[in-house]
Amino acid sequence: MDLNIDEDDLNACVQCGLCLPHCPTFRVTGDETMSPRGRIKLMREVQDNDAPLTSEVLDAFSTCVQCRGCEPACPSGVPYGHMMESARETLADAGQMTPTWQRLAMKPLANPTLLNAGTRALSVAQKLKVVPERLGLSNEIPLTQSKLEATGSDVYLFTGCVMDTMQRSVHAAGLAVLTAAGFGVMPTGNAAPCCGALQSHAGLASETRTLAEKMMEGLEPNIPIIVDSAGCGAAMKDYGHLLGTAEAELFSERVFDMAEFLAMHMDRLPEPAAPLDLRVAVQDPCHLRHVQRVHEATRTMLAPYVRELVELDDEGLCCGAGGAYSIFEPELAGQIRDRKVASINRATPDVVASANPGCSMHLGAVGVPTKHPIELVHHAITGARGL
Amino acid sequence: MAGSKLSNLTKRRQRAESSGEPFVDALRAALSHNRVKWDGASRSLHSHDASVFDGGNSGPVVYPETTAEVQAVVRLANQHGRNVVPRGAGTGLAGGAIPLGVPVVVAVTKMNAILEVDEVNRVAWVEPGVINLDLTKQLKPLGYHFAPDPSSQQVCTIGGNVANNSGGPHCLAYGVTNAHVVAMEVVLPSGDTAMLGGLEAEPQGFDLRGAFVGSEGTLGIVTKVAVRLTKNRPAVRTLLMAFDDVRDAANTVSDVIAAGIVPAAMEVMDKQITAAVENYVGAGYPVDAAAVLLAEVDGLDSGVDIDADRIAKIGRSNKATDVRLAESEAQRQLLWKGRKTAFGAVAQIAPDYYLHDTVVPRSALADVLEQIYEIADRYDLLIMNVFHAGDGNLHPLIVFDGRQEGVLERVHAAGGEIITASLDAGGVLSGEHGIGVEKQKFMSRMFTNDDLDHQNRLRQAFDPHCRTNPGKVIPSGHSCADIQSLRSVPNTVWG
Repeated sequence: MDLNIDEDDLNACVQCGLCLPHCPTFRVTGDETMSPRGRIKLMREVQDNDAPLTSEVLDAFSTCVQCRGCEPACPSGVPYGHMMESARETLADAGQMTPTWQRLAMKPLANPTLLNAGTRALSVAQKLKVVPERLGLSNEIPLTQSKLEATGSDVYLFTGCVMDTMQRSVHAAGLAVLTAAGFGVMPTGNAAPCCGALQSHAGLASETRTLAEKMMEGLEPNIPIIVDSAGCGAAMKDYGHLLGTAEAELFSERVFDMAEFLAMHMDRLPEPAAPLDLRVAVQDPCHLRHVQRVHEATRTMLAPYVRELVELDDEGLCCGAGGAYSIFEPELAGQIRDRKVASINRATPDVVASANPGCSMHLGAVGVPTKHPIELVHHAITGARGL
Repeated sequence: MAGSKLSNLTKRRQRAESSGEPFVDALRAALSHNRVKWDGASRSLHSHDASVFDGGNSGPVVYPETTAEVQAVVRLANQHGRNVVPRGAGTGLAGGAIPLGVPVVVAVTKMNAILEVDEVNRVAWVEPGVINLDLTKQLKPLGYHFAPDPSSQQVCTIGGNVANNSGGPHCLAYGVTNAHVVAMEVVLPSGDTAMLGGLEAEPQGFDLRGAFVGSEGTLGIVTKVAVRLTKNRPAVRTLLMAFDDVRDAANTVSDVIAAGIVPAAMEVMDKQITAAVENYVGAGYPVDAAAVLLAEVDGLDSGVDIDADRIAKIGRSNKATDVRLAESEAQRQLLWKGRKTAFGAVAQIAPDYYLHDTVVPRSALADVLEQIYEIADRYDLLIMNVFHAGDGNLHPLIVFDGRQEGVLERVHAAGGEIITASLDAGGVLSGEHGIGVEKQKFMSRMFTNDDLDHQNRLRQAFDPHCRTNPGKVIPSGHSCADIQSLRSVPNTVWG
């Protein structure tokens, strides 16, 4: 079966295996079918040798977190993420992957009214304690949210879908810090409802493209777009590849992660009222470290505002959140998280800084105290009490 | 809610009950359902390692977690008349983990605990699936490391290192795996366990530990290893030298050793491989030099500066065009990252490679290299050279596109000539990758019939029925298992 994977990309893998230890599913299973090398070999077998699509092959593909930790580890630069996206797109189109319930679950993401209603229902359900455990929600979902007010038009603050309903306080902190640095900020709100990252991971390519086009239409040209969710930022920086147009390339070039942008403007950031008296472990979201590769900026931005920064010892291995992965594959996601939590415990931090809502919710669900890095900066600047 | 917490994956696995294969069912009863894989995809992936050789035929793939489970697997294999092939990370380059004769593949990746760090005896007890670099990282806070550092260090397992007696850049000063394994528990082909070696300085009797290290899985499966802890040195200096001629780099290496200096490592890369590596790591390798020499000295602060200085002088007297010292630990790490990922980086040039592994006397390095380039020209192949220059361990890397008609024949023919040239110069077949299925046919070039018969008798003393990793190392004429019959098992595997 043709998986529509580029032949040159497939041939770029020499099966050396250097990716294996950087793959979270291989780390927890020790199983070659759950490794990048194994998955690429299976792609080859299916695409080039017409091997049958057995349930084991589909499992191998669907259990990939798409963290892309294998990409920086690959000396030949195999574009694994794009290969897996192509495979999933083909298999989802053929009805072999991404079952209807998963497709339906993602529908509201692109529709703010539906998403808000759904989130409120979830908030009420959570208070009534009828939320299924597999959703992994421990942090309290807010029932009502205060509106984000624009402070100017120098930069966009991308607010997105799930994050805006679950973690709007992070946006508020980002808006305040950008404004304090002298940037007028426009929250994107309904003009750009969703980046399409989760749809893309699930192989729902046409939905992803529609969302990307909608976002490009909805936003004014030439204004930098600041994103405080690593997964969204990675997806938006990939629009050039996704849509293959010069316009999309230009759009992607003005997308910045929050810390990436602020690290370039440290001179404009206010001094801290007092550096937070905290030992902060930086947890690099995969799509910040392995895909956007701008994770160092988080440290640059945080350093003046906290007492101590500490690195985790797992070289950026995934935490298992993976967008909706923790919901679709809770068992593996939990095992992967166990490794991450062990690494966090060895670092003995007061708080973990994570620049991605999926990671912070996934880690928060087992009691890891997480904050978005921009929240820490905001607290330090304003001297606000109580984290 | 409990049911809904199980992933689809688990449900599907549990749905399948009897496999229809008594051997597989027996293995599942002894281990667990999901640690015995019998599906086509798993078997297909475990039929290969990182080498260029055609895959074998994997039978069931098992993931034991304890010594007792390894014993159970081996005993069941004996009862069912099946062969056993141990597997670590599958990064071997000589085909040592390729399963021949539809054996049960014993993947030790789940036996990955560091059991004990014994500072008094300066050893750590580890399971075979522990990743080499993970061990070194765990030991770092204590000020120790595991010295053998193969290029695949970030992924290869200690079990695989034991099986192949692995080396690495820093083995020039510290010795290869054999010097760093003190004792080990092994599961013999009978299913019994044995402790080989010991923590005492002079263990009694024959050194069976020494025989086992490097036996490539043909004598049994290692299940616990006591590895030596090597103290981290307080100071290290890393020199990067550029040359206009590979010969000058090779001569520098010989001269350094002749001057009585024993660097921790001395590595050479030629122009083309340097370009590929630099493109990946961006470490500042000089891409216009014909060859670069990476030399590292470690020890006490004052000593390393003197040695680094002496090496730089020797380099300059051999026409080094540029001599640099790594400015920071970060840059040093980046230089080594480049060197250690060299093989993987070649896919930037072509999709396939065949990495050779011969050893020649240091004094013959320059001449053999020249012959290798001549062989490359003659066969119209691209051959790059990246090697552990300090101990004369050559790694000619033939880079090709296997989709081209007839290219594989040329690759193998050129490879044969490289081996011949190395042996003619007084060298040996393998520095560290092992013999596997790769160099069996050259064994008789190196050893007499008597030698080979005695090697086979040692093997049979451990494994009288030739059930453990059959068809490897010892050539068929001298071995109890005939490769051809192992190869001719019909392929009923998925795909």
